[in-house]
Amino acid sequence: MFLRFVGQSIRRAPRRKAMAIGAVALGSAVATAMLGAMLDVGDRVNRELRNLGANLLVTPKSASLPVDIGGIRYQPAAKDEFIPVEDVPKIKAIFWHLNITAVSPSLHAQTKINGRDVPVEGVWFRRNLQAPDGTHSTAGVRALNSTWHVEGQWIDDRQTDPHDARCIIGASLARRLDLHPGSTLDLLGEPFSVAGILPTGGDEEDRIFVRLEVLERLTGRTGQVDAIDVGALTKPEDAFARKDTSKMPPEEYDRWYCTPYITSIAHQIQEVLPMAVARPIRRVADNEGQVLSRVRGLMLLIALAALVTAALTVWSVMATTVLERRYEIAIMEATGAAGGVIVALLSAEVAMQGALGGLLGALAGAQLSGAVSQTVFGVHGEVPAVLVPLVVLVATAVALAGAAQPLRRALALEPAVILREGA
Amino acid sequence: MFWRFVLAAVRFRRRRLLLAFSGLAVAATLATALFSVYSDIDRKMRREFRGFGANLVIAPAGSSHTVPLRAVAEAERLGGVAAPFLYTIGRIGDERVVEAGIDFRRAAPLTTYWQVNGARVAAAGECLAGSALAAHFHVSIGQSLPLASGSCVIRGIVSTGGDEDNRIMVPFDRAATDAGLADAASVVEVRADGQRVEETRTALAGALPETDVRILHAIAETEANIVLKVKAAVFSLAIVIFAITTLCVTGNFSALVIERSKEIGVLKAIGAAEGKIAALFLSESLVLALASTIAGYAAGLAVAYGIGRRIFSDAGSVEAIGVDFAVFAPVMAVTLVVALIATLFAASRIWRIEPAIILRGE
Repeated sequence: MFLRFVGQSIRRAPRRKAMAIGAVALGSAVATAMLGAMLDVGDRVNRELRNLGANLLVTPKSASLPVDIGGIRYQPAAKDEFIPVEDVPKIKAIFWHLNITAVSPSLHAQTKINGRDVPVEGVWFRRNLQAPDGTHSTAGVRALNSTWHVEGQWIDDRQTDPHDARCIIGASLARRLDLHPGSTLDLLGEPFSVAGILPTGGDEEDRIFVRLEVLERLTGRTGQVDAIDVGALTKPEDAFARKDTSKMPPEEYDRWYCTPYITSIAHQIQEVLPMAVARPIRRVADNEGQVLSRVRGLMLLIALAALVTAALTVWSVMATTVLERRYEIAIMEATGAAGGVIVALLSAEVAMQGALGGLLGALAGAQLSGAVSQTVFGVHGEVPAVLVPLVVLVATAVALAGAAQPLRRALALEPAVILREGA
Repeated sequence: MFWRFVLAAVRFRRRRLLLAFSGLAVAATLATALFSVYSDIDRKMRREFRGFGANLVIAPAGSSHTVPLRAVAEAERLGGVAAPFLYTIGRIGDERVVEAGIDFRRAAPLTTYWQVNGARVAAAGECLAGSALAAHFHVSIGQSLPLASGSCVIRGIVSTGGDEDNRIMVPFDRAATDAGLADAASVVEVRADGQRVEETRTALAGALPETDVRILHAIAETEANIVLKVKAAVFSLAIVIFAITTLCVTGNFSALVIERSKEIGVLKAIGAAEGKIAALFLSESLVLALASTIAGYAAGLAVAYGIGRRIFSDAGSVEAIGVDFAVFAPVMAVTLVVALIATLFAASRIWRIEPAIILRGE
């Protein structure tokens, strides 16, 4: 009987029902799109910020203090202080390995050109790195610094070749020595040709880059690196992150360990590389967090504003549908239906409209959010699946809430009054 | 007569109109808030990037090892924040250390990312120690560091994760004396306005031909990229929000017309032209739009102020919070357009109303 009632109501006025469902769907679509976009923009900006280069620097534990200015060492490093190159993939084996976007090991040396010391770095340019768990990722200076571009050509080092005789020269140094792609020069006693000129604006402009294995051979330091630059996606540091970890109770320590703060990632790298120290590069790490939390906050507030609008829309539509049916309610009351039955009947209808509209809206909103991140970031964003049931629930609840007040009013009024008003 | 009609409608249909009014007011509020945030977001986001420090460096060129100090004045004249740095090798006992001469007052805005324990500034006879250096020599704040060129009292311990950790930071003049240099710096770092980096670089390179003026591409490009993308995201979200509010208001206005089908039927029956009836509704919604623009504008400024305060407040001054009063005109335009679209959609029903059917009571 009850179900027949509801079914009849929908069959008799399909257009009005469709309009109500459509309105709920629109509200839910906007809500889903906003939430999706909000989550997505944060992630995208985080990735964008990774273009700033490394935010962690891993160096060997050292008994002496490095004495270098602009890459020139004024005191030779101890012979036994290095990180074995075969340990580099271990960084991709830490708890937060998925947050490590790129690693770039380097070996440092210097050479004299025209009586002047020039730093030479042996690096991976872009290489496939196989992590201990078998997954692959790209590593090297180009993977870490995606804004770097050379005039000329990069050195393709996917295959190792310790006898390669090409180098990349920092732009400032190239200007100073009047070198161009194709020029030749002597490095550490061997002739090299210039493959490309690298303008970055930073210290790199005064350096020369060769393949890691080439510099290993020239310096006789096979299998050694002096530093690993690491880029990691992190959570901005908050008050909890700044607490002293040595004084944390175990459960707090676990929470710290399992949050991708820059300090906990540094700690985990030191666990897998006991011969090394990992330090956050504050200039990048701190500001990155700052910018990210601003962007996230901005998106959150805009999303909240939109959610409120969407809720108001759903609320007002549902209020209108109940308002329109006051005569029906009055007739039911007049013919002896109990208040409870009427409430159950209308609530069932409203809830159904809310749920259906919410579902349609959530699905459409997911598409919309994808379209937004496609146009803004050029990447197709995914809305987390959990958002869909959540939106359906909230839409239903808001619809019911919107219907509640006019329903109560209609029941409180004498049916006779309402019926006369309509005459 | 016309206006009496409109006013009477407002009086008798208070409830309905309130609903339509609130819909429009929400649109105006959002328009104000979004326009205010949007018009200012460039400045606000760029402000956040100041923390990254310099986006330009002036380095020695050719065979020179130093940059003349007039580079600092030159960069400041172009509106940038500039500071000279001078690096030299000092000695502590029989160990060599890097001594960095810093003009602490000028460098402060460029080194906000330094994590410092103690003071950030060292006066004559004082110095700051890098965290690794302090650990290596087992010294702490207040103790004296026996530099060969004259010991200094440590005022702060600096930790940056970069080269500073291994260095000792002394006032610029002291380092110049130790290095035996005058009117020279190893490098001059400059923070130029993010939108005018390229211009500033060209101007500096022209004024200082003996130096190498470089843009720190990673920072400058990331800044430009992120500002652009956040702007685009806010913009597209604003479009989505306006679309939904327009639809919501259209729904409200349609309900207004449906409710009054009977009156419209009567009007049509006694010979009123459809255009005239539509004009009635249009003027009604224009009155509503005006009222909601004003209400929404006030509410929207409050929201924008809230956003500015909550998100960008610790950037500093009141000016950072930024409420833009100039957005009134665009808000007005948006609200009117929303009301207009909604009314036109709703009013199209007037033509479809058959007086005979309506008046028979169906």
